[in-house]
Amino acid sequence: MSGGVDSSVAAALLVEAGYDVVGATMKLFCYGDAVPDRPCCSLDSITDARLVAHKLGVPHYVLNFEDRFGRDVIANFVAEYARGRTPIPCVRCNSFTKFRDFLYHADALDCAYVATGHYAIARDGALFRGRDPRKDQSYFLWGIDRGVVARMLTPVGSLTKRETRDVARRLGLVTAEKVESVEICFVPDDDYVGVLERHLPADAPALSPGPLVTAAGAVVGEHAGFARYTIGQRRGLPGGFREPMYVVAIRPETREVVIGSGDELFGHNVTLAEVNWLAEPLAPGNAVLVQCRYRAPAVPGRVRAVEGGTLALDLAQPVRAITPGQSGALYDGESRLLGGGVIA
Amino acid sequence: MPKRLVYLDNAATTPVRPEVLEAMLPYLGPDAFGNPSSPHRFGRAARAGVEEAKRTIAAALGADPGQVIFTSGGTEADNLAVIGCALAARERGGPFRVAVSAIEHKAVLAAAHAVARLGGEEIILPVNGQGEVAEDGLSEALARGVAVVSVMWVNNEIGVVQPVARLAVRCREAGVPFHVDGVQAFGKVPVSLHDVACTLFTVSGHKIGAPKGIGALVVRDRHAVEAIIHGGGQQFGIRPGTENVPGIVGLGAAVELAAREQAAFAARVAALRDELERRLLAVVPDAVINAAHGRRAPHVTSVSIPGTDSEALLMHLDLAGIACSSGSACSTGAVEPSHVLTAMGVPRELGVAALRFSFGKENTLEDVETLIGALPKIVEKVRALSAVLHR
Repeated sequence: MSGGVDSSVAAALLVEAGYDVVGATMKLFCYGDAVPDRPCCSLDSITDARLVAHKLGVPHYVLNFEDRFGRDVIANFVAEYARGRTPIPCVRCNSFTKFRDFLYHADALDCAYVATGHYAIARDGALFRGRDPRKDQSYFLWGIDRGVVARMLTPVGSLTKRETRDVARRLGLVTAEKVESVEICFVPDDDYVGVLERHLPADAPALSPGPLVTAAGAVVGEHAGFARYTIGQRRGLPGGFREPMYVVAIRPETREVVIGSGDELFGHNVTLAEVNWLAEPLAPGNAVLVQCRYRAPAVPGRVRAVEGGTLALDLAQPVRAITPGQSGALYDGESRLLGGGVIA
Repeated sequence: MPKRLVYLDNAATTPVRPEVLEAMLPYLGPDAFGNPSSPHRFGRAARAGVEEAKRTIAAALGADPGQVIFTSGGTEADNLAVIGCALAARERGGPFRVAVSAIEHKAVLAAAHAVARLGGEEIILPVNGQGEVAEDGLSEALARGVAVVSVMWVNNEIGVVQPVARLAVRCREAGVPFHVDGVQAFGKVPVSLHDVACTLFTVSGHKIGAPKGIGALVVRDRHAVEAIIHGGGQQFGIRPGTENVPGIVGLGAAVELAAREQAAFAARVAALRDELERRLLAVVPDAVINAAHGRRAPHVTSVSIPGTDSEALLMHLDLAGIACSSGSACSTGAVEPSHVLTAMGVPRELGVAALRFSFGKENTLEDVETLIGALPKIVEKVRALSAVLHR
């Protein structure tokens, strides 16, 4: 229970359905250092989660995962940017913290199920997109252990956001009107570079000046650190070109940020690493839908090769800004999440 | 069947005693709701309640009524003592420096830290393995010169009793004000300020059956402290603001009861505590009673259970209907390693695996039996959990 409306309603619906519910909030990092208030992950949010649990008549506990979250999620977040990639810490948190470490507690309490406020639907051991297409969060869940899906409860997955708020209002939950959190919980003010500056040495290559180049190799300027850029970014690039320019590649070994036209952003294939399956693994030649960015449409593709933990896919249509570090989530035609991987 | 609820967290807080509530009610209602500073009959009625409480508290503690300064609780009293002494010393050209023991309540430690942030200095007096303040540390502090020395009578986490009478003499000989946080001592061990030559003494209401939000600082030398909040001059300007009359009356009633019942209470809860420790060691043989060989107050025991963490133990115990504490809880409810156990040299793995059980007047042997009945299975589960989570 983050203290947001979704997990509040998830808990409420389970209580209404007669489950014996234990509420818990994960403390993931230190709140002491002037982290400004935000809808989730702050001290006020823990209070809100407690108020909701109290209103529902269920116990509520704060569980400290600071050490493990710091190691598995924040350190990885920093390391990925230092390698010129654009990570999704929420995916790591789901895979390592929320649906792994947290479950150790659930096991110790003999909890048969673990519930979440995610907009996704767990059914018969399979995971599907949430009903509300604008809220669907299944993209972030490809990395969880397949065995966990069988004991996942996703009470808001079959609701729209509006319906979720309606439930919260009907039950008079304090979180009913709460603003949506869209930031990364441990990144205050959306300033991820500030987080990198706190965790990386001052002379880290990722935060040091380097050349801005074109794909042809022409140096067209200087940037203040490649970690400040992501594939597809337009902001912060020099003008004076015939057409709008975007970041099309980051080369950490030479500190080069490569810029190019919009056309150069499109790719026809994608390779996934750290592949995880929530269904029977695909084999070369299999057709699949792949989604390479949150809120981007899934596009048809075909498996070219499977080797160890990697999966190479050919895409039936070009996809814009395929970004290393982001996730490739794999779906079938019935919106079932089959698995996924980190874009290599 | 509803489970039997067991409250073993009386050092955190206690319910208001019916006698106390009874005594307070007139001061919430139409007859005696007045402002004690008002010259009319309503004010006089309220004033009478305040003065009577002062006399009661002074008599119970061995102080004079004029020395009792009411505060919003133990934390404010501790802050007034530490920061107030530091400010007074600076005012008269003395040392802007305070010395507090390493195992003080956060109310004292944080106040000392505030002095440091205001440009002064904090000296942390170390403790030995049984939690007793090392007297050579005190000697050094006194030799350097300090505005105040603050040492708690009874530690809230482990129950260790400090030799406050002797420390008070040492401070008096050095001409240094001595503050004693007596929040966990009063009502639990014999407390008489006739025998302890301290300058300042803190007592809190809600630990002894008065409501939260009321406490007092006994100030035996008004020149020793300067006010830290400012207002209309009530309580000699040391702690201005309209007095919390119902709270003060409640504190008076609770103090009187606690003083009267102290000896019988101590004997009863000491027997319960000893039984708890004996039976706990029987079912969890590798458990460690912290400060077991120190001089301890009768109502508190701190037990470390190797291979566990207090956060998970507390959760499992709560689900079993048993309320206790890890010693120091973060405001979020998350558990941090205890600074008290750390200062005593207890290894981190035991410091994060400590439970504090604290007894009150309502506890019975059945409570101990319920706890001991539930504990082995919980310890087993949490050990399995911790083995995975902390590897």
